Amino acid sequence: MSTLAGKVALITGSGDGMGRAHAILMAERGADIVVHDIKAQPAEQTAAAVRKLGRRVHVAVCDVADVAAVRRMAAEAASVMGRVDILVNNAGYGQRSETQAITEEDFDRMFAVHVKGSFFAAQAVIAGMKERRYGKIVNISSMWGMTGAPVAPHYCAAKAALLGFTKAWAKELAPWNIHVNAVAPGGVKSGGPIKLDSAETLKAKEARVPLKRYCEPVEIAYAVAYLASPEADFVTGQVISPNGGEVIVGY
Amino acid sequence: MMSDTASSMAGKVAWITGSGRGMGQAHAILLAERGADIVVHDVLVDEAKATAARIEALGRRVFLSHADVANATAMHDLVAQASRALGKIDVLVNNAGVGQHRSIEEITVEDFERMFSIHVKGSFFCGQAVMTGMKKQQSGKIINISSIWGMNGADTASHYCAAKTALLGLTKAWAKELAPWNIHVNAVCPGGVITEMPIKVQGWDKIRAKEKKVPLGRWAQPEEVSYAVAFLASGESDFITGQAISPNGGETIVGF
Repeated sequence: MSTLAGKVALITGSGDGMGRAHAILMAERGADIVVHDIKAQPAEQTAAAVRKLGRRVHVAVCDVADVAAVRRMAAEAASVMGRVDILVNNAGYGQRSETQAITEEDFDRMFAVHVKGSFFAAQAVIAGMKERRYGKIVNISSMWGMTGAPVAPHYCAAKAALLGFTKAWAKELAPWNIHVNAVAPGGVKSGGPIKLDSAETLKAKEARVPLKRYCEPVEIAYAVAYLASPEADFVTGQVISPNGGEVIVGY
Repeated sequence: MMSDTASSMAGKVAWITGSGRGMGQAHAILLAERGADIVVHDVLVDEAKATAARIEALGRRVFLSHADVANATAMHDLVAQASRALGKIDVLVNNAGVGQHRSIEEITVEDFERMFSIHVKGSFFCGQAVMTGMKKQQSGKIINISSIWGMNGADTASHYCAAKTALLGLTKAWAKELAPWNIHVNAVCPGGVITEMPIKVQGWDKIRAKEKKVPLGRWAQPEEVSYAVAFLASGESDFITGQAISPNGGETIVGF
């Protein structure tokens, strides 16, 4: 419905799962896409799907934790595609470890990918957004960033940090008409939980959600696409959590 | 789930309280543009008729009501009549409301009761009236229009602030109570919006001064609030319940 025609969207971690769903939905709505992933083959697969929709694609393969590589990616994306109007900080991963089991390497990697990766990706695209006095940044947090969980505290805290960026950047970047929001997914039937949970565990978890199900990746993409569109030009510093009613927090 | 059709409102019936003017009218028109038939409802008769005419001009069906939202029996009657006329009600937007800039000392018992009757009791019984049909069809969308003032208060109109906060309470509770029937309940909390009401009550000079305090440097057009309402009324938000979207230009950023 909301058109993204003429916009260029850079979606980190769009080789599979939710990131791919965001790339495809935004391409369907008219955006050209910078497909980024740490793995080349999944990135190429998403790129092929986007091309099939008649949109332009640029593929970037790098580790978002590598600041120099992220800067190169942003510069290359801007020169190949003309500009970057929308950044979706989606790249991330889960690790279900308890506090005592988390090594220093686990900890550093979790924050390097989610927090440092998102920070420097944004830093690399905002110069162009400021020049054009328009931009959209959507940070993918998590319902676990809102409420915590009995496991993966490094993941929970990294996702909470993304909410911190969302609030701070909304204020810092408002003078340039750059809108910064977060999406905090609940249970999604994508790679992560399906790999980590048995079918039985997944079913039991779905039973605890008020709407009694986990969602499809595209249902997260709808929230991202809304926030990326001109329809959300007065929305900044906010979070949308598609979570089936599992988490309802203070507002 | 087809991504290209989920935003469509074709075949849906939406009831928007207070849709004679301002934001309510904008919601009604946007939802009609996206294919919904509309229950236009406002105590202001001429305004409601004008909204109805614009919706009919879009080729959509309309049921028109001028009943008072504070009258619970009238709301049950309205739902019965509108469902007969349009077949069902899929979406309720609890939008009817009234502002009143008064200090604590200035608020009379009548002011207080009117504020809570319209916003809270009105929304409650509109919800109660409409949910029977929604439960039967195992689907429904209720959108409560709260306010940034309901999220963080203001230095005036405490009865308005508290009534708008109560709508957030209904949103959270109903999301849980109605989830078993696949009924989704969310809130929209507008910030500054340029409608007749603030223009009349505050005047342009005050509005311009207030716009400067918003991080984005402006107030919204009513349609910008409607986009959030339409998203929450559509199939695109079928996994979203118990949440709030606040189009407020960055003016209010609260705990989440």
